[in-house]
Amino acid sequence: MKEFTYTITDPVGIHARPAGLLTKEVKKYASTFTLTKGDKSADMSKLMKLMSLGVVQGDTVTIKVEGPDEETAAAAVEQFMKDNF
Amino acid sequence: MALDYRKCAEELVPLLGGKENLISAAHCATRLRLVVADNSKIDQKAIENVEGVKGTFQSNGQFQIIIGTGTTFQSNGQFQIIIGTGTVNKVYDEFLAVTGLTAASKDDVKAAAAAKAPVWRRMLKTVGDVFVPILPAIVASGLMMGIVEALGHAIPGFSDSDWYGFLDLVSNTAFTFLPVIVAISAARVFGGNLFLGAVIGLMMVHPSLTNGWNAADGYDVWYLFGHGLKIGSYTFGQVNQLGYQGHVIPVIIAVYFMSKLEKWLHKHVPEIIDLFVTPLTTVFVTALLTFMIIGPIFSTAETYVLTGAKWLITAGYGIGAAAMGAIYPITVVMGLHHMYNVIEAGMLAEGGLNIWMPLASAANFAQFGACLAVGVKTKNAKRRSVAIPSALSASLGITEPAIFGVNLRLYKPFVFGMIGGAVGALFGSLSGLGATAYGVTGIPGLLTIDNIPVYLVLLAISGGIAFALTFFFWHEDPEDNDKYLEEKAANEEKALKEEAEHAPVIISSSAGKIYAPVSGKIVPYTEIPDATFAAGTLGEGVGIEPDTEIILAPYDGTISSVAETKHAIGITGENDQEVLIHVGIDTVQMNGDGFTPLVKEDDQVKKGQPILRFSKEKIAKAGHSDMVCVLLTNSDDYEDVKIGADAE
Repeated sequence: MKEFTYTITDPVGIHARPAGLLTKEVKKYASTFTLTKGDKSADMSKLMKLMSLGVVQGDTVTIKVEGPDEETAAAAVEQFMKDNF
Repeated sequence: MALDYRKCAEELVPLLGGKENLISAAHCATRLRLVVADNSKIDQKAIENVEGVKGTFQSNGQFQIIIGTGTTFQSNGQFQIIIGTGTVNKVYDEFLAVTGLTAASKDDVKAAAAAKAPVWRRMLKTVGDVFVPILPAIVASGLMMGIVEALGHAIPGFSDSDWYGFLDLVSNTAFTFLPVIVAISAARVFGGNLFLGAVIGLMMVHPSLTNGWNAADGYDVWYLFGHGLKIGSYTFGQVNQLGYQGHVIPVIIAVYFMSKLEKWLHKHVPEIIDLFVTPLTTVFVTALLTFMIIGPIFSTAETYVLTGAKWLITAGYGIGAAAMGAIYPITVVMGLHHMYNVIEAGMLAEGGLNIWMPLASAANFAQFGACLAVGVKTKNAKRRSVAIPSALSASLGITEPAIFGVNLRLYKPFVFGMIGGAVGALFGSLSGLGATAYGVTGIPGLLTIDNIPVYLVLLAISGGIAFALTFFFWHEDPEDNDKYLEEKAANEEKALKEEAEHAPVIISSSAGKIYAPVSGKIVPYTEIPDATFAAGTLGEGVGIEPDTEIILAPYDGTISSVAETKHAIGITGENDQEVLIHVGIDTVQMNGDGFTPLVKEDDQVKKGQPILRFSKEKIAKAGHSDMVCVLLTNSDDYEDVKIGADAE
């Protein structure tokens, strides 16, 4: 299992459009992604769940990656988040 | 006999000043609602004679034509509201064809009319919007103050009793701190932070400042930037240490400015430091401007009003008195009436009678008359419930509720009150009435006046004239009528039901059917004017150009998310279908302004149930498209997804 934290800098946070991009991204990998904010977490391939966390600018979230390709997947998604959030 | 719709429309156009004179057109159940460039080009009489037209009227910058066949429901006697249905829309269609205008929604027409209303009318409306929510507080206070003051004058020794002291405290609290209440209400109207609004209001009546009512006794001044820059008697950076007790307008101006500044800062200050930078800057800058600019302007104006008033009442033959009786309520509105007791005290100190009091009383009692007439005449229960107690309070000499809550808002009653006040004041001056004390007007004035019968005549004249003028010449906008409002609500409900019943299937798959959450033109998601939506990043679905301003649940399900910014709602349906309804493009930037969710997370909803209200006007104002995007976000999970108006 791989884990990393990220602090959102995008002013809109993880809202509809960016969230849509994120779900699309994680679906490319075989691993499962879980995003945790405070005591709530969501499967990152589920757009609704992800949005319902209400992640906004300045929030720090933890992302857990589990699966056969977790090494590459975690690195790629971390980079993706840096580029987009 | 069936009406010839085309003929009706064709006859109407020239009578309205031709095509060029028309700005926009819409219709409701019975009326053609038009905004025209030049009202004087309308031949109202001739329009009323066109077959099919039941009547016309003008309101709020709109010209409305009531259309109906008039064959049924005559027993109703009133304006045949229902029978126009089915007729007016046909005339409307022909009307559009004849004029080449495009269809405008009722709200578009209303917005156009609102923009056309003169600035001062819009400002009066704003003052009214601020004042109406606080009426319960000041009506209660006003009535109590009137009674307590009357008792103080009526019962010897009562004004020195403990009871008087206590009652005085209880009754005048709302007026002592009126700027605070006004500021909070204004912050709500202008979309500022309520607590920052409260701070501004509190600051304006801070105990360290000299009470506004004692301005005549003098007050200290701070010179923030020394004595260098002088403009006449005003020094730049001068802060008068004078409170704003009894003021309304300066408070509204200050809070208006505060709200604008706060919103601007929220937009431009980085979020990380927003929480301390924005409120701090907002309060400091607003305070500086309020005390440095608004304060001196109003203090100076008040001094002029005092000088002017002193001069006016000595002008001969009661003319000056009449003028004063007319403009008195305006000075109350402007908050420039604080120094009048200086005049009264002066007169008494010189050993004479207080001849100011009859003028003030005439002016106040006329506002009572006008307000009472509104209360008697109105067909709107809510307006009546405001007008009657406000009138009662005014009869006791506390006119703020009547002026701000009723008369000024409707504007005409206020003017009629000024006329009544002028005539009453003229009579008071000519008959040589005077009071032996100051502080009370209206009915409690009977206790201090030197000639009770003549004073009663004065009250009857001023109140009577204002009442009669208002009763006969003020016409309530029929849209404020209870019946109309009820009908409108019932119609809306019916329309929603119908809309829900007829909603087409817009997305379907093996998992289930998704119905249109709002009526309007449907386009596939690929045509949504936004790259992310159009690329299907959020799933497949449709965009709808909404005709109405209410979103209905597209199927039975559970609300899975309501965006913090209120413009998007997720709903989970059977077989794990996840639908996202996103109202407008880029509307996340509106931060919830213009959106009212009717459900919360985890609520169970039924297909067709209203779940979100939104304002097309606000979305348009913010410069966004109002397209409603309905997307099956997990459309990847199903293989046979069909989209579009005929997905079924």
